Amino acid sequence: MKNNIIILGGGQAGIYAAREIRQNDLKSNIKILGEENLLPYERPPLSKDFLLDKKNEEDLYFHSSDILKNENIEFENVSISKVDFENKKLFAKNDDVYSYDSLLISTGSENKKLSLDNNLKDDVYYLRNLEEAKKIKEIVSNKNKITIIGGGFIGLEIASSLSQLQKKVIVIEIGNQLMGRIIPKQIADLVQNTHLEHGNEIILNKQIEKITKKNGIYEILLNDNSLIETDFVIAGIGSTPAVKLFENTNLKLDNGIVTNQFCETSIKDVYAAGDVSNFYHPFYERNMRLESYQHAQNHGICAGKNIAGVKTEYTSIPWMWSDQFNLNLQLTGICDEYDEIIERGNDINNGVIYFFLKNNKIRGACGVGVIGKVGRDIRITSKLTEKDTIVDKQILSDQNLKLNKLIQK
Amino acid sequence: MSEENWIEVGSTDSIEEEDLIRFDHQDKTFCVYRLTDGFYATDGICTHEAVHLEDGLVMDDEIECPMHQGIFNIKSGEALSPPACEDLKTYPVKVDNDKIFIKID
Ligand SMILES: Cc1cc2nc3c(=O)[nH]c(=O)nc-3n(C[C@H](O)[C@H](O)[C@H](O)COP(=O)(O)OP(=O)(O)OC[C@H]3O[C@@H](n4cnc5c(N)ncnc54)[C@H](O)[C@@H]3O)c2cc1C
Ligand code: FES
Repeated sequence: MKNNIIILGGGQAGIYAAREIRQNDLKSNIKILGEENLLPYERPPLSKDFLLDKKNEEDLYFHSSDILKNENIEFENVSISKVDFENKKLFAKNDDVYSYDSLLISTGSENKKLSLDNNLKDDVYYLRNLEEAKKIKEIVSNKNKITIIGGGFIGLEIASSLSQLQKKVIVIEIGNQLMGRIIPKQIADLVQNTHLEHGNEIILNKQIEKITKKNGIYEILLNDNSLIETDFVIAGIGSTPAVKLFENTNLKLDNGIVTNQFCETSIKDVYAAGDVSNFYHPFYERNMRLESYQHAQNHGICAGKNIAGVKTEYTSIPWMWSDQFNLNLQLTGICDEYDEIIERGNDINNGVIYFFLKNNKIRGACGVGVIGKVGRDIRITSKLTEKDTIVDKQILSDQNLKLNKLIQK
Repeated sequence: MSEENWIEVGSTDSIEEEDLIRFDHQDKTFCVYRLTDGFYATDGICTHEAVHLEDGLVMDDEIECPMHQGIFNIKSGEALSPPACEDLKTYPVKVDNDKIFIKID
């Protein structure tokens, strides 16, 4: 049967879903609707190699328009402003109407905004898409002292890039450590030291009271009454799933669109994948929402299979990375459910990993090291987690012993 | 094919099975692998970003980059998983008297 399949949101999850549907279904119409007038592209370089001019726009696209054409996948640049799930219709701002038989929602996430009580709303920049990255790149080229509000991954990656562009960078973080929500303090402190060694200033435990602008210079008042003068302000204070469109519908929402292990939402023929979805993970037996490259890709592929009728559970063990200066940080599994922590290594030059165990099995791990030094062990850890292996803690804690000894073949 | 392009890498017992070693020659870096059915060689630097694959994980016929988990087929060099999308260059390998040689062009 020939179906109309619509993918709402032309990002990473959307494009991988589209191609996976086509692999399994040669007949249906597949159309991606994206409000950015760009084919789906990679976001990770936006805060890193794109700012550093090591990658340009052409390097970011996942797939060329030729590939999409060959696979008969349509991409339309349109912003959807209303949905009618009952009649299976989407409405664009320009009143165009799109009917679907199956719908994948892959609208990603949106940056949280600072609540500024004056008219400086447009003066503070955020980074989520290529257009914003281009603007930031242009503006910082003639600024010297730049303040970043928020010491999460994106804020710190921008701080690392700007420092490499010889800027004076200040990071203001409300919590008592960097990357607070998910990263162990020991690892956050190692990353912080690297920022300090490169001359970045890190201010923890401080809140912004007010931002004012005088003669083109911004003054940031902190809650201890200290004042920071700066040429430019970028905020990276977290993100929320892009679900505004569905708030007054009967689609079940709870920190994103609630989906089961098959990417199915509470409404028949409606699926969700990527950043926007709060999905059930059968291995961890709970729901979770992830904002990561690997997840967006694999979840998109899984949704694609299910939409094409190939019933597939999503069981991928979470994994993400962040690159700052010469460091590569990686996180696998979940690190908030454990009865024991085991440390491997203590020198960032050889890599440092913290394993989070429950009942002698790994639930998650977080590591940081000079580029290349933690990836292999973190990858093996993902496998051990997935296989639910009871691990030899001696091997975990001794960097001289190879972790692949733990994998049972 | 002239003989002098074959460069000696080391002895066969210098690489464990399902593992690799890094081999630097002039200003280039290579990875030499020992798989269950023999020895193979590729460029030593990931095609995604300039990262040494020597720290990567060898699984079956694949090498996975330690930085962003890009995956390449060791025998063909084919990029199998993003963010790696450009293939890795491969090189012929021969074993002579328990010594490994790779042919560099
Ligand atoms: C600056 C930055 C750096 C990152 N670095 C890393 C990293 O180092 N490692 C890592 O693992 N992850 C990183 N990530 C996270 C990763 O990029 C995301 O998790 C991934 O892009 C999510 O994919 P997605 O398809 O769910 O959403 P997105 O890629 O965000 O795509 C969603 C798309 O939907 C569109 N859309 C939304 N609403 C509508 C609508 N109503 N109508 C039409 N279109 C709509 C949006 O415009 C967008 O194009 C980074 C993210 C950012 C922003
Ligand atoms: S550097 Fe190898 S995958 Fe990115």
